[in-house]
Amino acid sequence: MRRLSWIQVNVLLACLLAGCVLLALSAGSFYFAPAQIARFLAHGLGLGAIAPEETLDLNVFTTLRLPRVLLCGVTGATLGLSGTLMQGLFRNPIVEPGLAGTSAGAALGASSVFVLGNSALSFTAPLGTAAVPVMAFAGGMLATLVVFRIATLFGHTDVLALLLAGIAVNAMCNAGTGFLSYIARDPQARNITFWNLGTFTTADWRGSLLVTAIFLPCLILILRRGKDLNALMLGEDDAAYLGFDPERLVWRLLVLNTLIVSVATAMVGVIAFVGLIVPHMMRLLRSSDYRFLLPASALGGALLMEAIDVVARLVIRPAELPVGIITALIGAPIFLWILLAHRRRIASA
Amino acid sequence: MTIRLEAVRWATGGTTIIETMTLAFAANRVNVILGPNGAGKSTLMKLAAGRLRPTGGRVLLGESDMLTLDGRALARTRAFLSQHVEIDFAISVEEVVLMGRYPHFSRAPGREDRRIVAAALELVGMAERRHRIYPTLSGGEQQRVQLARVLAQLWSDEADPPARILFLDEPIASLDVHHQLHILETVRALAAQGCTVIVTLHDLNLALAYGDRLIFLRDGRLQAIEEPGGVTPALVQRIFDVRATALGDADGRVLRFHL
Amino acid sequence: MVDKRLFSRREASGLLLAAGAAALPGRALAAGPGNRVVCVSKQINEFIYDIGAQGHLVARDLTSISPPQITRLPNVGYHRALSAEGIISMRPSVLLTDGNVGPDPVLAQVKSVGVPVETMAPGSSMADAQALMLKLGTYFGREAQARAVVSRWQADIKAALAAMAPYARGPRPKVLMIHFGQIGNSYLGLSRGGAADQIIAWAGGVNALDQVGGMARLTPETIARAAPDIIIATDVGFDRYGSAAKFRDLPGVALTPAARTLNIHRVLESEIMYFTPRTAASLRKVAAWLHPPARRGA
Repeated sequence: MRRLSWIQVNVLLACLLAGCVLLALSAGSFYFAPAQIARFLAHGLGLGAIAPEETLDLNVFTTLRLPRVLLCGVTGATLGLSGTLMQGLFRNPIVEPGLAGTSAGAALGASSVFVLGNSALSFTAPLGTAAVPVMAFAGGMLATLVVFRIATLFGHTDVLALLLAGIAVNAMCNAGTGFLSYIARDPQARNITFWNLGTFTTADWRGSLLVTAIFLPCLILILRRGKDLNALMLGEDDAAYLGFDPERLVWRLLVLNTLIVSVATAMVGVIAFVGLIVPHMMRLLRSSDYRFLLPASALGGALLMEAIDVVARLVIRPAELPVGIITALIGAPIFLWILLAHRRRIASA
Repeated sequence: MTIRLEAVRWATGGTTIIETMTLAFAANRVNVILGPNGAGKSTLMKLAAGRLRPTGGRVLLGESDMLTLDGRALARTRAFLSQHVEIDFAISVEEVVLMGRYPHFSRAPGREDRRIVAAALELVGMAERRHRIYPTLSGGEQQRVQLARVLAQLWSDEADPPARILFLDEPIASLDVHHQLHILETVRALAAQGCTVIVTLHDLNLALAYGDRLIFLRDGRLQAIEEPGGVTPALVQRIFDVRATALGDADGRVLRFHL
Repeated sequence: MVDKRLFSRREASGLLLAAGAAALPGRALAAGPGNRVVCVSKQINEFIYDIGAQGHLVARDLTSISPPQITRLPNVGYHRALSAEGIISMRPSVLLTDGNVGPDPVLAQVKSVGVPVETMAPGSSMADAQALMLKLGTYFGREAQARAVVSRWQADIKAALAAMAPYARGPRPKVLMIHFGQIGNSYLGLSRGGAADQIIAWAGGVNALDQVGGMARLTPETIARAAPDIIIATDVGFDRYGSAAKFRDLPGVALTPAARTLNIHRVLESEIMYFTPRTAASLRKVAAWLHPPARRGA
């Protein structure tokens, strides 16, 4: 069988994503038939009227379902893209976006708002409702920078030092979040727990558009770096001999990565393993060439996230599962399988 | 085009790796850097190739300071083959070799780039394995693929090709004797077509057979620069702490070593 | 000294005020078959059944499992991790909460599509709980039933408290109430000030914990130091171990007097965590553990 070209694979993924978005728009506690969706969308554009008995459905569709599907897709794309990016930067296929401390730092930043936000330490009060994403970004950035500083202490990025520093900083941030949830009064602890599980339940237009507005320019900047990441596979020295500036490349991409991951994490909480599964699937599907892998894992991430969210909405309807539970449930075994395959390849080499 | 080191020194963490040295590599010749382990050979290569910033002095390419040159433009005329390139990702041999053309195209490779990749793979004898996944190759095969990559990077079919410089850091360490000689022949042919070659080797006899100019390092110091004919047992003793006996044979001189 | 009066003066006036407020017209749910209520508070749900207004209920939260027949209703998830769509898909005319639900954005979403959110804080005293019952009676147009329930409730408590009178003079055992067994390495202990604490005090016992308000995280050492004579564990945590004998082996618990005499008991969460018309029964049940017949005779 002839293998599909990169473009064909990406077009296929985009078609699947479109189908999945339609499914996500339609399925849930409320079911919207495709014809109804079309009428609602037309109504949104000022075409056609909606019967009064459909007002509740229309409201649910426009104020809950649409922003949720958008947030879900963008978050999935963020996590998939970030996984590919981090694996390229670390030159290691067993790296998760959270590894460099980004997610844990963002979690700590957001938790500090939840717990200290109403206390005498409410230094974030002037930020208002933006406090959670802003502090999540600050936390994610700080953690990433600490890891990165340690890893580049001797002039060049040392991957082993980066990984170990990531483990240490993750542990520190998790301890900080744990401490906050331990001293928190009940309702605050509730917020942390809820948020740590990862869910799209709280999606609204403001949050979804914010995440999208930050994601899209970053996506464009990142997609232009396919060749650079390929060259980085050879190692930093060899990438430099091919005319790239590996130190600057790693820096830039780490900042972009932190930005999109922190903002998405601030909105939906910690969602594990998507950043690991998606790049791996895309590698199996076609190639590890980043010129293909970057767009494919953004599409694949969105696709997977939409599918998982539909499941999360349907299994215990009318209640919902946090998506973080589902991703961990299916992600962890896949992670172990990747690890095993990787070990086997090293052993046979 | 010549590469010259002017009073170049390199130190890291308070330890001097390369003592101040001034040295010019011979253009369009095979320059072999020789010396015992820890002599500073790899560091000298990285300084000369513009990867390391000298602690003192400067590296000149022609008349310009290496560090002021645009990285991408430089990459079209200067390539570097590292000792061992490990890739942890499932990427095909062809895609690896295509990376050598990255400095030459911006978005997608052209037909010319594809042709050069095929020719470079042919030259190193890996054309039939171009769809294989790089990490599944043996160490020697991987080394040949990397050689194809740097050859593709400097490839020129013009009658009067531009000045080019190829660095090779222990290119034959993991190869069988057939491929060792094959690669060194390729390198010599490249020098004959107007490419400056700077290579580190451990095999003194191969250095004598293929080198035009032998640069001896020890303890980060430049010890001697000799033509193959000028290498004496006394020099070998001074650099490597071994006694050498010269044996004559049909092709020339062969050294045998004793402790 | 334990306050043996049914209500303090302040509570009594509070009850009167609340009853008066509840009687005021205006906030009441329009009576009729079209009312669909999603209620995500277990105490309010119990009360709705008490006054016979369950015909209006269309969905509950995960933790509302009392009375048992409520579990036939669909549940819209954990009351602190609700999702808007699930609630709205029940097409409720109102979402009823006790104010201790979340996340907050979800409540905002529910309001944004035009579903009103009614919050009825249950308060912390029995008077508050009875006021809530009356308020619900008004809300659902079942004032008479609510009043009947409350007066029976008051009578039951009065009788139960009278039965407690002898224990006021006797020894007052120390009681530790452990909720939800264990989270990580810590147990949650019910502190002073809540319904459970009040029930223990009425039963002639004393809470082994000094902390006031909410729940206290316990460590094995603080449990050992509290040295309770009796341990009462709520169902979820107790059932994780299955029996008093197994519960006794927990770190810290094993070192208490309660463990030596195997004086460890299981209660339903709904029996002691908040005040209901069944509080009198709970009180008698707890009192029997605190003052077993043998010891009473001694």
